[in-house]
Amino acid sequence: MSGLLERIAGKLRSYREPGYYTKLDHKWTMVIDLDKCNGCEACVVACYAENNLPVVGREECEKSRAFSWLRIERYVEGEYPDVKVKFIPVMCQHCMKAPCETGCPVYATYHNQDGLNVQVYNRCVGTFTCATYCTYDVRRFNWFTYKWPKPLEAQLNPDVSVREMGVMEKCTFCIQRIRSAKDTAKDESRPVKDGDIKPACSQSCPTGAIYFGDIQDPESVVAKLAKSPRRYRLLEELNADPSVIYLKRVMGDGTSSHE
Amino acid sequence: MKRRDFLKFIGIGGVGAGAGFVLGKVSKPPGAKLIPYLIPPEDIIPGVATWYASVCTLCGAGCGTLVRVMEGRAKKVEGNPGHPINRGGLCALGQSSVQALYNPDRITKPLKRKGPRGSGEYAEITWDEALKTLAANLIELKSKNESEKFHLLTSPLGGTIDRLAGEFVSAFGSSNYSHYGLFQRKNLAFANLSTMGTASIPHYDIENTKYLLSFGADFSSTWVSPVNYSNGYGKMRQGTGERGKLVQVEPRLSLTGANADEWVPAKPGTEALLALAIANTIVEKGLARDASAWRGVLSRYKAKDMASICDVPVERIEAMAVEFARTRPSLAIAGDSVSSYENGISGAIAVNILNQVAGNIGVIGGVMPNGDDLGNGKKIDFGRKISTLISAANADKIKTLIVYGANPVFTTPKAARLEEALSKVPFIASFSSFMDETTAHADIILPAHTSLEDWGDDFPDPGVAAPVASIIQPVVSPVFETKSLGDIFIELARAVGGNVAGKITAPNFAEYLKASWKGLYSRNREMAAGTLGFEDFWNKALQRGGWWGPSRKMTATVSARAGEHLTGAPARFEGEEAQYPFYLIPYAQTAYMDGRGANLPWLQELPDPMTSVVWGTWVEINPKTAASLGLKEGDMVNIESPFGKISAPVYLYPGIRPDTVAVPIGQGHSHYGRYAKGRGANPIEILPYKEDPLSGEAALNSTRVRITRGATGERLVKMEGSTKEFGRGIVQTVSPSEFKRMKKEVV
Repeated sequence: MSGLLERIAGKLRSYREPGYYTKLDHKWTMVIDLDKCNGCEACVVACYAENNLPVVGREECEKSRAFSWLRIERYVEGEYPDVKVKFIPVMCQHCMKAPCETGCPVYATYHNQDGLNVQVYNRCVGTFTCATYCTYDVRRFNWFTYKWPKPLEAQLNPDVSVREMGVMEKCTFCIQRIRSAKDTAKDESRPVKDGDIKPACSQSCPTGAIYFGDIQDPESVVAKLAKSPRRYRLLEELNADPSVIYLKRVMGDGTSSHE
Repeated sequence: MKRRDFLKFIGIGGVGAGAGFVLGKVSKPPGAKLIPYLIPPEDIIPGVATWYASVCTLCGAGCGTLVRVMEGRAKKVEGNPGHPINRGGLCALGQSSVQALYNPDRITKPLKRKGPRGSGEYAEITWDEALKTLAANLIELKSKNESEKFHLLTSPLGGTIDRLAGEFVSAFGSSNYSHYGLFQRKNLAFANLSTMGTASIPHYDIENTKYLLSFGADFSSTWVSPVNYSNGYGKMRQGTGERGKLVQVEPRLSLTGANADEWVPAKPGTEALLALAIANTIVEKGLARDASAWRGVLSRYKAKDMASICDVPVERIEAMAVEFARTRPSLAIAGDSVSSYENGISGAIAVNILNQVAGNIGVIGGVMPNGDDLGNGKKIDFGRKISTLISAANADKIKTLIVYGANPVFTTPKAARLEEALSKVPFIASFSSFMDETTAHADIILPAHTSLEDWGDDFPDPGVAAPVASIIQPVVSPVFETKSLGDIFIELARAVGGNVAGKITAPNFAEYLKASWKGLYSRNREMAAGTLGFEDFWNKALQRGGWWGPSRKMTATVSARAGEHLTGAPARFEGEEAQYPFYLIPYAQTAYMDGRGANLPWLQELPDPMTSVVWGTWVEINPKTAASLGLKEGDMVNIESPFGKISAPVYLYPGIRPDTVAVPIGQGHSHYGRYAKGRGANPIEILPYKEDPLSGEAALNSTRVRITRGATGERLVKMEGSTKEFGRGIVQTVSPSEFKRMKKEVV
């Protein structure tokens, strides 16, 4: 009994210790090498398959209600024949200072101890605030309860809940894969190894452009890549502190006009 | 029950609410049971996924897959990290194969035609009746001594199923078994046959090359073995060695072109001449390997003469030549847009010559010929063309036709009059699992499994300069009342009887396949090494997804005789320039390929990588051209060739020559399920019917078109907002020279 009390007291104390709220168990980070990415969109389909994303149909697409948690953006510079095309996969950036989290009136979106920006579907009441605040336009809203014509529903991933009307959702960094890797590691009484977790997009990428891991582990691939001189983060000047690091594309004379 | 209703019940009283909740759940379907798993099936643990190794069959590349199965249902198809073709990656099309398995529009049972042909009206019958009907038809043919009037047309099958189908046809007494696919790359294979003596496609070692010169090869999306090449591309760009360069020659900027360091928009139909001009410049500048042998063949293709024909400045040709020859290793590849011209063989040969003079053949980072160690390579019969079939049908030489996998009604131009020819065939059977346009002409349908339910094997062509043999195994039990393709042939053989049954004696296809692999195992010492007999080998192969051996370094030489197939002139386009001012480039789109992906909802909703258009067809027009025609984005236009007319909305595309328009292939289905039917337009319809007399490959880039207003149809739906960054620095770049100075990250 006293042991338990001590543990609780210790826990309470630790809350007051400086740095408690910024100390994380892991800090899952994604590194995307834009010099490898060729824009093939295999990752987009992988995300649909893994995360039970509904297909909304032509009319809904026209209203920009497609569900892709991950999209490939494409920017075109110049005119024929000096056309330059650049691709960038954009998904939830899991910002450490996420604008969306400050907006939610019901705490449906918050930051967890893994450094992930998570969405609790059961809490969400669909105020749309997070989507409005999001810098990267990655949040998707369930305008309807979408149906899968039989037997397509047999494909649905049982590890991911199927969302209903009125709920906001977004990329989770495949949290179900993180959980399962942590469970396996726990069963084997070992810490999670670098490379144990591959989100669906990273797994499917034909060019191997998407890396994933814990940046707090200095030996991890992402920690090493994060030191690359090519690193940058999307719209970094907005100070949302994203967990997705991009590696600059090697291209042309380097004087991209970003027109 | 809705949440609000539930709250109302709470308001009435706690007990009532509970009862209401329970009563609401009573309406279970009859016969539904909770499965106790008291004696669980061997490989099912509730909540734990089982992974099966198999092979993707959505295109011909032969990527190894791992299929995630939970509670007997396929959940996800992923690339097999151990497989030498794709090394873990898998493309959009391949990952969607699970939606083919669970497609709501699959043919669930054998069908017999009820309405007129092509109407798609069918009545369900039993397998017994279906097999008997088809067998009776075949027996009648045989008794009348008309065995030769039986034709089998399939997609380019390979491996054991191909052998079984071939055995069936020959045992029946017919020699008419042909393969057909829109993107069979027969021109490429024929070019290799006539220059290097082997009809297979070599391994293009993109991974290790330092200068990749691609003539219209869209290897990032659909060309030959996209995942293998993309994997190589990633390593070429950011691998352990120095960063490789990519130069793309094509009139319409493809997805691969968009990633290139340089885009050379040569005039459509002149890419072969450009390749030869580069080769000639290499020879003239004394940078060639065996210059004397090639001087004669190449002297006609002077850079200064070709520059104006190709619309590429002479300085640029010379610069490309020098860089191509000096950068070691370099590699040139001939893609669909080059081999899809009339006499596309010459384009592929020109590129082979270019590789030869630069010394790229048989070297790491260049062209690495594939051997046929396993003796199971896909054999291409260049004599069997779709035109052979059409003329046979028109001459009443086909009484019974069985179709599987191929959809020629969709993929041949209207000008080929294939439908008319099919109407002269008295009896058509289809083994397709989907109601595609060709199957809609069938009198009887015996639906085969999809590849996730079936056995099979695959010997990838092109390989990776190493022997590769993969096994396709069923990962789930059949969803509907379909049969294994091999079993259909075996059971049909039994029903036909006589020497057909005598020849094909295997009890089922699974046994037939295993026996075939036993033969392979006993012939191949490498396979046998380190295994405890065949059973052990077989089990390991099933676990791994197949067997693959170490890479072999082989070499080949392009003989100077290759010159005889070169035409020396740009490819011909139908239609007068005055009347039809634009070249038409129909291209294979990432998701739909030759149209096969159009029935999969994920792929319909997948934004096209270059335009972000979903759920439809579009026509890509240069903004300047559009302005001169008074067109803006989304305007519906007619695209008219001398052979027909289709309509599509305009997409303003800066990555296309002003004298060219491009339309993706894949939409415009008249059948093929709810997701594909009646959507968009099929550009193949308006093409001339031009088949290469040597290889049998269709020429897709072969007509001019005119663009006129006044069409009606579905609106353009695209997912993009603007394609401009507005100075926000979203995709940041560094220059190659700056990159060279950077300290490289070590991973």
